[in-house]
Amino acid sequence: MRSDYLPDDLKRLWKELASNPVAVSPDDLRRESRKLGSGLRLRNAFVTIACSLIIAAYAFFAWRSRTTPERIGAVLAVAGVANMIVQFLRRPARVMPGGTTESVRFYRLELERHRDFHRGKGIISWLLPCLPGPIIFNVAFALDRPAFAPIVALQLAVMLLAAALVVPLNLRVARKFQRRIEALDGSIQ
Amino acid sequence: MSSQSSQEGYWRQAAQEYGAALERLAWAYEADSDRRRDLLQEIHLALWRSFAAFDGRCSLRTWVYRVAHNAAISHAIRRRKRNAPVFLSLEEIEALPDSQDLEATAGREQALARLLALVQQLDWIDRQLILAYLEDLDADSISQITGLSVANVWTKLHRIKNVLIRRFYSGATDAK
Repeated sequence: MRSDYLPDDLKRLWKELASNPVAVSPDDLRRESRKLGSGLRLRNAFVTIACSLIIAAYAFFAWRSRTTPERIGAVLAVAGVANMIVQFLRRPARVMPGGTTESVRFYRLELERHRDFHRGKGIISWLLPCLPGPIIFNVAFALDRPAFAPIVALQLAVMLLAAALVVPLNLRVARKFQRRIEALDGSIQ
Repeated sequence: MSSQSSQEGYWRQAAQEYGAALERLAWAYEADSDRRRDLLQEIHLALWRSFAAFDGRCSLRTWVYRVAHNAAISHAIRRRKRNAPVFLSLEEIEALPDSQDLEATAGREQALARLLALVQQLDWIDRQLILAYLEDLDADSISQITGLSVANVWTKLHRIKNVLIRRFYSGATDAK
């Protein structure tokens, strides 16, 4: 029974698995395909609008601020968030599971894409440019209006804590993906 | 034939010829029945979209299996769980094929569940290879689907089959 080949009865057994025919129609697929496209457009629009509102708010602060440090902070915040919009819209598109890419290469590309998102590119080019502006603005705001200092300090602490957690957590996830890439490379040699 | 109608035509042909194999592929990647249904729909959606670019440079079968495995990989990475818990719900056991011989049926269901559990525990590349093998694909076809060399496919399949068969039969002995 034990040989280099699985007995044919295991193949027959395996083929007994499928029992329910797929209940999808071309119309369903057309509809889902359109939804997929419109969902992506909707997400892009949502992020762009949300970032635009933040830009509008900081632009207002830049115009109305009483001190130069506040203005500098507001302008930097505008630049940081604008950069975030650009990076978001220019991000590499997800590799669609097509038929031209062999499955092992596709697997590696997907692992690389996830790794790169969590390592470097995602954090350094998106998140970090957004930090200096709000920090400078908030510190300047608190110095000019001491009554608000506790609230601003709390706000800054939360922001810095979040940034301090986000970076190492993302790098940790990136390392996991890197290990899987290495394991894949090792297994196909 | 317009591109839209050829897209639909290819999909219909793929669903008809490989529908059952795609469902088995979904079983191999997803133990949970709801997620498995989602995965199967994702596979069909990926196939539908992919056929807009199908140019016949490879066979329909190679194309279908590449797309299906790639969609399953994307799905599995998104879940970020290497080994999903393996179990069969009552509905799934009920959905297994009927047989006149109740005793034999129970034995086959157990054997099928055991085989499925073993396949689901395999690493993704190994799983793809053994799935293709169980679907009667030869080493050349598997090589075209995965991108591994034919020699590599042979070597890996040899090893996977040995492990699988050893575990399958040791499980059967344990069950008795």
